[in-house]
Amino acid sequence: MGRGKKEMMNVCIAGAAGDGVRGGGVILGKIFSELGYSVFVYQEYQSRIRGGYNASVVRASEREIDSHAYYYDALICLQDYVFERHVDRLRGLLICDSSFSLDHDRKVEFPISETVKKLNLPDVSRNIAAISVFCKLFGVDIEVLEKVIRESFGERGERNIEAVKAVYEDLNVSIGQMQRVGERKELVSGAKAIAEGMLNAGLKFYYAYPMTPASPILHILAADSRCIALQPENEIAAIMMVIGSAFGGERAAVGTSGGGFALMSESISLAGMAEIPVLIILAQRSGPSTGMATFTAQQDLYFALNPAHGEFPLIVASPLTIEDSYKLAGDLLNLAWEFQTPAILLTEKHMTESYTTAKLGGVVKKEVEIFREKCSEVFERYKITESGISPYASPPALVKANSNEHDEYGFATDDAEIATKMYAKRMRKEKEIAKVVENLEPFVEMKNGKDWIVTWGSNFGAVKEVAEELGFSVAAVRFMRPLFLPKISGEMFCVECNYAGLLAKLLEAEGLEVKRILRWDGRPFTPEEIRREIERWAE
Amino acid sequence: MGRISWCPGCGNFAILKAFEKASRRVIEEGYDVAVSSGIGCHGKISDYLNLPSFHVIHGRVPPFLTGLKLANPNLIVVGFSGDGDGLNEGVEHLVHAARRNTDIAIILHNNGVFGLTTGQVTATSPKGRKSRSTPYGNPEYPINACQLMLASGATFVARVFAGEQKKMAEVFYRAMKHRGFSFVEVLQPCVSFNNFWDLRKEVFWVEKAESVHEAMRKCEDVRACGIFYAEEKETYEDAVWRSMF
Repeated sequence: MGRGKKEMMNVCIAGAAGDGVRGGGVILGKIFSELGYSVFVYQEYQSRIRGGYNASVVRASEREIDSHAYYYDALICLQDYVFERHVDRLRGLLICDSSFSLDHDRKVEFPISETVKKLNLPDVSRNIAAISVFCKLFGVDIEVLEKVIRESFGERGERNIEAVKAVYEDLNVSIGQMQRVGERKELVSGAKAIAEGMLNAGLKFYYAYPMTPASPILHILAADSRCIALQPENEIAAIMMVIGSAFGGERAAVGTSGGGFALMSESISLAGMAEIPVLIILAQRSGPSTGMATFTAQQDLYFALNPAHGEFPLIVASPLTIEDSYKLAGDLLNLAWEFQTPAILLTEKHMTESYTTAKLGGVVKKEVEIFREKCSEVFERYKITESGISPYASPPALVKANSNEHDEYGFATDDAEIATKMYAKRMRKEKEIAKVVENLEPFVEMKNGKDWIVTWGSNFGAVKEVAEELGFSVAAVRFMRPLFLPKISGEMFCVECNYAGLLAKLLEAEGLEVKRILRWDGRPFTPEEIRREIERWAE
Repeated sequence: MGRISWCPGCGNFAILKAFEKASRRVIEEGYDVAVSSGIGCHGKISDYLNLPSFHVIHGRVPPFLTGLKLANPNLIVVGFSGDGDGLNEGVEHLVHAARRNTDIAIILHNNGVFGLTTGQVTATSPKGRKSRSTPYGNPEYPINACQLMLASGATFVARVFAGEQKKMAEVFYRAMKHRGFSFVEVLQPCVSFNNFWDLRKEVFWVEKAESVHEAMRKCEDVRACGIFYAEEKETYEDAVWRSMF
C-alpha cells in the first residue's frame, strides 16, 4: 500500500519474552544498515520476562525513513501461537520452525530448534538461526551477518555464528538478492541519541530510578565513562541529587516516566525558585497510573507544561525523530544552564526504545561562567538584572540558595517589595528564552499542499510519509514551552497518541479548526493507519 | 547574615553557636564547608551561618548533599534536618544515605514536635501526647533516630543535648571530620511547644560502643548521650570513583 519505488522491506520478528525478539530485531536492523539501508526498528513487548507476545518490526528502505510500516513483507515466528496476532498484517513470506503447522500460502519452514539443539546452543539462539534463514533466502552475504554478530556479541558471537553457518549450508532456497545500496549506516536507539546529546552538551552526572521507558538511558550512561550515572532510592532523590550537583557547578540530568515525574514535582519547583539548571527526560508511556508500562503514549503534554506549583520559567521540547532527540537533549541541557531553570525533554517510549539509522553530531557544550572562588562577602547570586539572568556561583564561593523567596544574596524574605522584584526578575527570563528558542526551529514545516497535518513527537516519521503521498503540508511542533505555533490554514488534521487531542486543543485555542486523528491503545501510528484515518474523515 | 527569628530560649541558638565553633575549627584546618537545611525551624540555620548554603525543601537534604558532594568531593558537606523533616517527610533518604555510607554529616534537631506549624506530633513524639492534630492523644509509637541510623549502616552515630554546648561542638567537629555518613541527633527543647530544658538533669554521657549491637543498646534510652558508634568503611563516593577509574 502506497509503496514508493525504493521501498524495500518491512519484517516482523515475533515470539515470546525470553526468545530474544528485541535483540533479534536490532541484529536484523544492523544487517540492513550495514548494507547501507535506512532502517527503523519498532519494539513491542510486554511487561513480563518470559512468555507472552513480543514483536520487533524492522523496516529498511533506500529512502530516509523514521517509521516502521503496518504491513509485513516477511514474518518470522519464533513461537507458533504468536502467528494469529500478526497474520492479518502479513502480505508476504512466513518464516518459521518446521515443527509448527501454520497455515499460510507463502512460507518457508526450517528446522530452527533442531539446528540450535544440535549445536548445543541455548534456546534463545533460535532468533539468530531464524534471522539467518531470512538472510539466506534474501541473498544477504554470510560475511555481513558474521560481522554484525561479532560486533554485537563479541566473544559470545562465535557460537551464534555456528548457527548462521549451519543455516546457510542446509537451506537452498533463494527468494531475492539484497545487495549493498550504500555506505554502512549507524543504527542507534532513541535512548542512545538522548544520552549522546546530553554528553556532548557537558553532562557529568545522571541520576535515575529505573522506570520504563527511560531506563535504557540509565543503562547506556552507566556504562559510559564520560559521566557518572547512579541509581538512587527514588525519583525524589534522583532530582535532588541533580540539584545538588548543579549547585556544585556540574551539569546533571534525570530521566523518568510519568509516575516518577510526578514525584519530582516539588523539586522542579525548587529548581525554578533557586534558579538551578536541571534537565529532566520525561519518556511517556501509556497511563494513567501504571497503565500499560511498556507501551507508548503522548498523554503528559499538559503535565510537562505545568509540572509544579508556583510560576517559574520552564523550557519544554519534544523531539520528532531519534536524530532530533540527540539534538534537543543537547540543546535543552545548554538552555537550562544558560537560563538557570528546569528544562524538560518530553518524549515517548516509541522514541527511546526504537532504533533508526542516524548520524549523531553537532551538539556542543555552551559554556557558562561559574564563580567558584572563596570569598568573604556573600555572592550576589540573585542580582536583579534586566534579562533576569544573574551570575552563577558554586561553593566554595560564599553563595546562598533558598527555597524561600529571597533577596539578591539568597537570604529568605517575605518583604513585599523584594518579593515583587525577585519574582519578576525570574519571570523575565521567559522572554529571553523565547528570543533564543525562536531561532532553534520551534516547529518544523514541510510544504506539500494547502491542507495540513499537524503533529508532535514520534508520530512525525509516519505523518511525513503520508503527507508526501497525499499532498498534505506538515507542521510538527518541537518546542512546547515557549510555544510557537505555525501559521496554518485550510483543512487541518492533528495526529496524536492520546484521547483528548492535547495539541489539537492548543491549536483550537488559537481559533483553528482541527480534525483529530487519535489513538490511545499504546501503539504508535504507522503511515498506513494515518492514511486510513484521513480517508475515513473524507467519507 | 539573616536576622534570627527563632523564639527566645530556643535550643537552636545553642546548636548554631556550637556549629559555628566546630566549623571554624574545620575551616582553620584548611577545609571548605558547605551546608544545607530542610523545612522547619531548624531550616533557618542556613541563613544564619556565614557559609555556602542551600535551604532546600522538606526532607530532602541528604540526596541534595549527595549530589553536591559528588560534584565537589573537596567540600565537607553538612546537612541540618529536623525530626519532622528527616524522620517523617524524608526518612527514606536518611536510611539510604546511611546505607551507602555517603560522606555527609547530618545534624538532626530533635525537638519532638512540629514547631513552625504550631505543635503537631512528629515521629519522635511520645505515644499519648496531646497536640492540635492529636487531641485525644498520639496513637503512634515514637522512633529512636540513633537506632534507626545504626540499623541502616551509619558509620558515625551520636546524640547530644542542646544544653551541653561544649560537648556538642566537639561532637559536631568529629562528625564533620569523619569520613563516611555521620549522624548527630540533638535533643533540642522547643520553648513554645515542647519545652524539655529540665532534661538537663537527666541526660547522661556514655562511652563509645565496640559493636553496632552494643551501640543499639546504649542509645535505647533517649536520655543517653555520646558518640555511640564510629567505624571506618569505604564511602559511597570512593566506591563510585573507584568503579569509574
